[in-house]
Amino acid sequence: MKDCIVSISTPLGKGAVSIVRMSGAKSLDVALTLFYSQKLERENIIPRYMYFGKIKLEENVFEECLMVYFKAPFSYTGEDIVEFQIHGGVLLAQKIVEACLQAGSRLAEPGEYSKRAFLNDKITLDKAEAIIGEINAETEGELKSSLQVTNGRLASAVLEQQEQLKYLLAELEVGMDYPDETEELGLKLNVIERLQKIEDANDLILQQSQSATYLKNGINVALVGKTNVGKSSVMNALLGEDRAIVTDIQGTTRDSITESFIYNGIKINLIDTAGIRETEDVVESIGIEKSKQNLNTADLVLFVVDGSESLSEEDEEICKLLQGKKLITVVNKTDKQRVLTAQENEIEVSAMTNKNIQQLKQKIVDMVIEEEIDFNSLVLTNERQMQILKEAKMLIEEVKQKQNESLDILTMLVKRIWQTLGKITGNTENEDIIDLIFSKFCLGK
Amino acid sequence: MERKTEIFDSIVIGAGHAGCEAALALARTGNKTLLLTISLDAIAFLACNPSIGGTAKGQLVGEIDALGGEMGVNADKTAIQIRMLNRGKGPAVQSLRAQADKNAYHIEMKKTLEKEKNLLVRQGEVVSVEIDGEDKIVSTQLGLKYQARSVVFATGVYLKSEIIIGSCREKVGPNGFKNSSKLSDSLKKLGIKLERFKTGTPVRVHARSVDYSQMEIQNGDDDIMPFSYMTKEKPKNKAVCYLTYTTPLTHEIIRNNFDKAPAISGEIKGVGPRYCPSIETKVLRFADKERHQLFLEPEALDTQEMYLQGFSTSMPADIQQEMVESVIGMKDAEIMRDAYAIEYDCIDPTQLKPTLELKTIDGLFFAGQINGTSGYEEAGAQGLIAGINASLYNQGKEQIVLKRSDAYIGVLIDDIVTKGTNEPYRMMTSRAEYRLLLRQDNADVRLTEIGRKVGLVSDERYQTYLDKIAKMKEIEAKLEEKVKVDEKLIKLCQDNEENIPRESMKLRDLMRRNNIDIYKLDATYNLFDESEKDLLDFVNINIKYEGYLKQQQEDVERMLANENVSIPEDFDYQSIKGLRQEAIEKLSQIRPFNLGQASRISGVSPADVSVLSILVKKTNKN
Repeated sequence: MKDCIVSISTPLGKGAVSIVRMSGAKSLDVALTLFYSQKLERENIIPRYMYFGKIKLEENVFEECLMVYFKAPFSYTGEDIVEFQIHGGVLLAQKIVEACLQAGSRLAEPGEYSKRAFLNDKITLDKAEAIIGEINAETEGELKSSLQVTNGRLASAVLEQQEQLKYLLAELEVGMDYPDETEELGLKLNVIERLQKIEDANDLILQQSQSATYLKNGINVALVGKTNVGKSSVMNALLGEDRAIVTDIQGTTRDSITESFIYNGIKINLIDTAGIRETEDVVESIGIEKSKQNLNTADLVLFVVDGSESLSEEDEEICKLLQGKKLITVVNKTDKQRVLTAQENEIEVSAMTNKNIQQLKQKIVDMVIEEEIDFNSLVLTNERQMQILKEAKMLIEEVKQKQNESLDILTMLVKRIWQTLGKITGNTENEDIIDLIFSKFCLGK
Repeated sequence: MERKTEIFDSIVIGAGHAGCEAALALARTGNKTLLLTISLDAIAFLACNPSIGGTAKGQLVGEIDALGGEMGVNADKTAIQIRMLNRGKGPAVQSLRAQADKNAYHIEMKKTLEKEKNLLVRQGEVVSVEIDGEDKIVSTQLGLKYQARSVVFATGVYLKSEIIIGSCREKVGPNGFKNSSKLSDSLKKLGIKLERFKTGTPVRVHARSVDYSQMEIQNGDDDIMPFSYMTKEKPKNKAVCYLTYTTPLTHEIIRNNFDKAPAISGEIKGVGPRYCPSIETKVLRFADKERHQLFLEPEALDTQEMYLQGFSTSMPADIQQEMVESVIGMKDAEIMRDAYAIEYDCIDPTQLKPTLELKTIDGLFFAGQINGTSGYEEAGAQGLIAGINASLYNQGKEQIVLKRSDAYIGVLIDDIVTKGTNEPYRMMTSRAEYRLLLRQDNADVRLTEIGRKVGLVSDERYQTYLDKIAKMKEIEAKLEEKVKVDEKLIKLCQDNEENIPRESMKLRDLMRRNNIDIYKLDATYNLFDESEKDLLDFVNINIKYEGYLKQQQEDVERMLANENVSIPEDFDYQSIKGLRQEAIEKLSQIRPFNLGQASRISGVSPADVSVLSILVKKTNKN
């Protein structure tokens, strides 16, 4: 197969490591547009060796990552395979899948890896039925998650969007198939406006689904702050028991530490990080580098500052790093005299006396899960469906960039969105658009 | 003593637009061919609108031309007005439409047929086709028998056709020509499933009875493009069309007479096309529309008959008169021919292979309206493919199938043989998923080589094509040159509100700028000579739309992956496990030739196709 498919291949939820896998002749090309490692050239990549480097998630955002290349035919599918291994849960893995999609892969269909393995003679004939079972089960699983689990409401929400797109397409198409009659039809297309509405509806489903993912996998909260402001103490106060070593010596917490607690049924993963500070200590500088990365994957950042001091230059440096992040400023040590001025989205706590620790927990949850989660709401529990909606969003953004293109091109782009959503609803029959043209417009000689 | 059966290589039944292309393709590739028609006066008859081309249809004509067919050449010879449609809507959807002189079109095509040395054109109604081993025996109403290896059925709307005007039903063909009353039964005997469709045509009025001052005039293009690139002398605009409208009175008359309208009362049972509804159907279905637009088109230069497009009806003749008089500018209208509906037999096209050969009997080919399609261009396209494949069949060679990514012709045939159709099928640009690749301007680039291979593209035509390709390469080479940042370039950029480049730049890269195209480059740098100007459009599109073209090309490659997996003809869908019942039923009915075709059958899901791919592989291995 020439085209390159991608998906997360580790089970969702628990697990410290996630693997994103691509298969197809183009997969190494796609991988190398995203993955960077010192002195790594396409020619000198050795199959089945693990390479340590960075993967580009979006412009100027990188994440540490391991890459392995399996050369055809010596791979599971019998095609070129590239796997990215990353520390962290589903969110990061999703981002990598998105980056791969942007770079030219497409989302794998149910059972497609096994199907390709079979078609390439990597799996023996007697396994054919098992693979058919896998394809059918996964397809059915998707149907269930969209149709049954949410009482068909998700399906109808996506259907509604697709229906809107179908109307738009019918109007675009009719102008091209019946130019003589277009004027008479008096169509107002408002393509961008109408796509925006669809995108908004799409975003709502994605947001709610993302909240549901939090429920499943927990909220990742990074604690940052300069050394000695009491990050570890705050963490311990939240956890309710001593986990990390707390001393007064600067730089004690060298590596990041992840601990979790459950609050109101929601799992919260705390990532304590090394103090962000220029240092010559090699071990510590690795830890600091790691802290910076943790920021990329966190859903929320707790910026811990010392309330008994005024804001230092170092604090301000960190502030700059945190720009654009979802953030709570935790003003610690309020058992002492407060000197610090008011901070952005602050909460006063004392790790010593446990003051406001419960309130902080509530605030964390409130900040991340903006909407009240209704367990019957439009939640996509299926990873592939969520990626499809994200793909649709990407395509809508693309049309916005290209709104000055001619009608034929615009139509082609809108049709792609319609087809993408069709992967969830199953409606991709072109004849439906033509039916709509004739039922909606009075045409013909 | 019984007369000896005459032997031909191929026999074509019907000399409409499909039959003419089929007969010419057969004769020109060396087959001794007999073309039988009910009336020599109905050859290539434009039974409905006097025009060739239009959206998507213009592309079909371009493709017929590139493959070595006749329609484009004949349309150019007889065009009296030409327009390029959709000029402002992008390159993918631009299509030519010509008003053709109805009489000249018929006469010119007849002349072409008569000149063909391997072709005998003969009047006669075919009453039966029988199979005798590999041979087919075709008999006419006069008891004459002809034998051939292959037969192309191109009977149009003549099978058991009936014309309906009000309560009057006549068992005749279009325009009152004799119909074909027996062949349907012969087809049934061969095990072929028939359907009944209907279509219709509007009134023709006398030109002198129309008040044109109340209508809007429609002129042809100043800069005329011909359909065929073999046409050296460009056609000229010799006539105009007019735009007019129905009035509230028209609608009132129609509403008051719904009970007399066979299309509404249920008197007509045949399935009519949605894109070509009768005026009474429009009034009924779109009751809130205040007016419907109509076009008045000249039928030919040597007649006063005008065709009233948009006013097809099967109302009684006296009510037709009343209706026409209520149209703006037509209060004194003199009707010369009445509008009518026509019902006819056709076949369910899913009985055909993508080669247009019948699945159950080798050597029988079907083309045109008998396959449930509509339109001259759709018919011509199928006729050409059926003719080519009948010829290849005679030679024992592999037949051709144009893919959806090759041509509109491929889309058309794939649609009807895969999905069937429940109304007369019309080609539309919205049916072609790769339409940016399937443009009218590149039809020759897509298809000339195929036409050459099957023997229809003459040396002269082929040389013209090769010259064009060479010239295009020259143009592209010129665009690889770099230009310095000098006064000229600065002016070009400033005039077009583009940033001035810092260093010298390839012309091709300059063209990628939004506001700069090949014409502006030519105006600035005087790059191209007169002989190259005609090709600039083509090169311009290729460069300006490069990214989108590449996207579609990638879609095509993905599609071809499935297209290249053939499914054995005897594949047993019933006894295999893993497919859903609905998919099993659909697949066993259509019996697709490859996975791609399977994926386009309605009711077959992507998961079914995945499962099928595994099963096919397993079967092939066992």
